[in-house]
Amino acid sequence: MEKGYRAVTVADIVRRAGIARNTFYDNFSSKEDCFLATQDFAVEESLRRVVDAAAEEEGWEARLAAGLGAFLKYVASEPALARTCIVEALSAGDAAHERYEQSLQAFIPLLQLGREDSPFAGDLPETLEETIIGGIFWVIYQRIVQGQTEQIETLLPDLVDFALTPYIGAESAQRATARL
Amino acid sequence: MAPDQAEYPPELSRLPPGRHGLPRDFVVHNQRERLIAGLAEAVAEKGYGGTTIADITRHAAVSRRTFYEHFDGKDECFVAAFDTVSTQLRERVDESFKAEDDWAHAARAGIAAMLGFLAGEPNLARLAMVEALVAGPVVVERYDAAVQTFIPYFAAGREGRPKKVLKRLSDSTEEALVGGMVSLVSRRIVAGQTDELESLLPDLTEFVLAPYVGNDEAAKIAREN
Repeated sequence: MEKGYRAVTVADIVRRAGIARNTFYDNFSSKEDCFLATQDFAVEESLRRVVDAAAEEEGWEARLAAGLGAFLKYVASEPALARTCIVEALSAGDAAHERYEQSLQAFIPLLQLGREDSPFAGDLPETLEETIIGGIFWVIYQRIVQGQTEQIETLLPDLVDFALTPYIGAESAQRATARL
Repeated sequence: MAPDQAEYPPELSRLPPGRHGLPRDFVVHNQRERLIAGLAEAVAEKGYGGTTIADITRHAAVSRRTFYEHFDGKDECFVAAFDTVSTQLRERVDESFKAEDDWAHAARAGIAAMLGFLAGEPNLARLAMVEALVAGPVVVERYDAAVQTFIPYFAAGREGRPKKVLKRLSDSTEEALVGGMVSLVSRRIVAGQTDELESLLPDLTEFVLAPYVGNDEAAKIAREN
């Protein structure tokens, strides 16, 4: 993904993969097909990591922090894959964009748990989870574009604080984040 | 120089054809504006990928030759259109923001202005918030930069806050707020709900104000009429 999705050819892919062009077409019908398969793989893998990490913790705040932490760790460890799925996916056609949007939705239930304990539950906007996820992914996207993928885990406290604040208020969020 | 008949098919022309006596600068400027509007209409209909130069010139009611007098190709026309829309949007937001005395109400007014502008111009909304992402790396870079120009309006919320509030705000707070807001708006446009964007005002106001003024105060201001 050093060239961006648009400029990449099947020839580039087979050269980097060290396989024959025929082998590529045995597995994928086109560049787009290959892109979507890559996305599917990464989404499934990241989701598994998020869910596993969250399950090891007790309490919503700790689970959210663990899930987000696992996600950032995965992004940092796979910079090329992260660029493909978080940056290039937005401009790689409708199917890729739709998959990207669906993968963000996977984080919604993890956030929604926060409504159960929230002293502001009655006031929380319906759109809150979508907006929080959009904000988190915007910050991650910017870091990847700026070539800071490997340091992305340093964002964890800020992003956890950002996600917790609407549910429990800024002061409690700060206390919870300080324990990370 | 008055455009000839071939250049302005009478049935499509928005300027009177023939000798309308308008100054050349005005005509040229007007052609550019028409091409930009034509591109926005064509893109709304067919998406960026499916739009051809012929679509743009048909919607703009100018000749192909005129198109190439203004732009090298579709990409360049799109960049011009994107810049026009993002500048207009920022001017609207800026004006509304500056008309209020306190920051919280200024932020709310700025968000309202953004939602109002986009809801009132569905083609431009789609162009700037959805199609820009698929229109190539040059536009994506401009899109990113345009989103970031809204950060100072939020960062102004830090002014005059108590130390303990400032201490807990992180460097990326504004970036995340702007990103969250933009992504919600884009999703609604993709879902075909551009005309309902203004109903997001209370939600977005509450979301954006909370880190600075606290959840209770944010909810209160979000619900003011």
